[in-house]
Amino acid sequence: MFKILKQVQDYAQESWQAAKYIGQGLSVTFDHMQRRPVTVQYPYEKLVPSERYRGRIHYEFDKCIACEVCVRVCPINLPVVDWEFDKQAKKKKLNHYSIDFGVCIFCGNCVEYCPTNCLSMTEEYELASYDRHELNYDSVALGRLPYKVTQDPMVTPLKEFAYLPKGEVEPHGLATGAQRAGKRPEDILQEIEAAKPKEEAKAE
Amino acid sequence: MNSGIDLQGSFVQTLQDFGLSIGLAKAIWLPLPMLLMIIGATVGVLVVVWLERKISAAAQQRIGPEYAGPLGVLQPVADGIKLVFKEDVIPAKADPWLFTMGPVLVVVPVFLSYLIVPFGQNLVVTDLNVGIFLWISLSSIAPIGLLMAGYASNNKYALLGGLRAAAQSISYEIPLALSVLAIVMMSNSLSTVDIVQQQSGYGILGWNIWRQPAGFLIFWIAALAECERLPFDLPEAEEELVAGYQTEYAGMKFALFYLGSYVNLVLSALVFAILYLGGWEFFIPLDHLANWIGVPDTTPWLQVLTASLGIIMTLVKAYFLVFIAILLRWTVPRVRIDQLLDLGWKFLLPVSLANLLITAALKLSFPIAFGG
Repeated sequence: MFKILKQVQDYAQESWQAAKYIGQGLSVTFDHMQRRPVTVQYPYEKLVPSERYRGRIHYEFDKCIACEVCVRVCPINLPVVDWEFDKQAKKKKLNHYSIDFGVCIFCGNCVEYCPTNCLSMTEEYELASYDRHELNYDSVALGRLPYKVTQDPMVTPLKEFAYLPKGEVEPHGLATGAQRAGKRPEDILQEIEAAKPKEEAKAE
Repeated sequence: MNSGIDLQGSFVQTLQDFGLSIGLAKAIWLPLPMLLMIIGATVGVLVVVWLERKISAAAQQRIGPEYAGPLGVLQPVADGIKLVFKEDVIPAKADPWLFTMGPVLVVVPVFLSYLIVPFGQNLVVTDLNVGIFLWISLSSIAPIGLLMAGYASNNKYALLGGLRAAAQSISYEIPLALSVLAIVMMSNSLSTVDIVQQQSGYGILGWNIWRQPAGFLIFWIAALAECERLPFDLPEAEEELVAGYQTEYAGMKFALFYLGSYVNLVLSALVFAILYLGGWEFFIPLDHLANWIGVPDTTPWLQVLTASLGIIMTLVKAYFLVFIAILLRWTVPRVRIDQLLDLGWKFLLPVSLANLLITAALKLSFPIAFGG
């Protein structure tokens, strides 16, 4: 007799608890409704990619020595380096260079290992095309400079969260010239340069 | 007791004054409220679709539709136009007749149920004396249409979705009907107008929600399940069943399902407002207030005011419930099919039965408060 009463009590308690948790959940959802949207309205607004962003690869034909290091460090041996040996100059002569961005995973190994720094990562990420073969960039296409979001008059550039000033969470309507917390790389470099002569003087 | 604005009476009277017979005048009147109701229901759906998208966006810290019209209000219209112009595909191995009948059978009963939704004493298409029972019986036609659509699609996901929809609708109709029965018992009538009348007189304190605290929860849960809203949207659970019985549908036929589901949501919210939130009644009893000030019942401006306030109040209550449904959608995770049937048969059914018995007992012991 008492056992069934206890069962009923437990069941009622469980139901009440479930209802309570749903109520808590509803209050959380309701609270979210009055928060500001985090939307970046893409074609009209774009985030400024960070300086370590690994976008489309830029390539300088004249710097390349056709050493094929990029091919060796590439996970899938992707870059195509077409060269022939010039017997008179006793040097490799580069004819063509291409990377297929339909296959590239943008790991950045080639950029990391290139001995002459002829490869570099850009901030370009809008590579969509109607035909996948158009993604196979030759040395001319690889040599084009990327469009910058900050220079496009159609686009409102927005700063990423890490690049907002201290205490800011909203990139919209940021004051012009507002800088992120901490020192910028060029400032650090300047400080190092300024500190150098003293150290040299000390060493003497 | 004056019953407020009687549009039908004055319309028929006006036509009779022009020299028409009473039969002809009534025949001319007949299609008007029906047409108005269909247009009203469709516009209501457009509003709900927009609300759903905007509120969902807000709950997820997005913006939602913004470019089609001011604040994106024309987005549902644009969606509708797109669906109308899309190609109407019937899969090669589907049963074309059942495939076409399915969405029709789902949509028509839902629109028919609007017959019994009152917005005022006389602002109702028909004041049937089986009122709320008509709604319950019409809502049991929809699962046949869903089953038809699922079976005719010749697709395993569609079939599973259709079966689930049927199982869900059938099992949640019983607690729904039982909780409605408790209300009917208190009002001594199945007519929706009588049910609202019985709640009037005391403002917000007279509403059934205070007398049926368990009943309104059961009704709301069952209504969500009937509308296949989250957390009970198993028939179209996209992670498991693609889109359930809608998988093979495109264009206008899909639009009918879409329309049907939202019309059903609005309808359930309206019926909830009528059964538990006092229908067209304001928070404070207006006619008593008018008596105190000394304005007689028959004053034209008072009648117009109460009639328009009645329509607004019904819509406000219904849309508040729609808002709750949308908020619930983003709060509660989907239940499994076994949990769904568990909840329906092992929790809602006994609780609603107990609720009915308690209501009957209270009605016998306190006939004043529980409509003896």
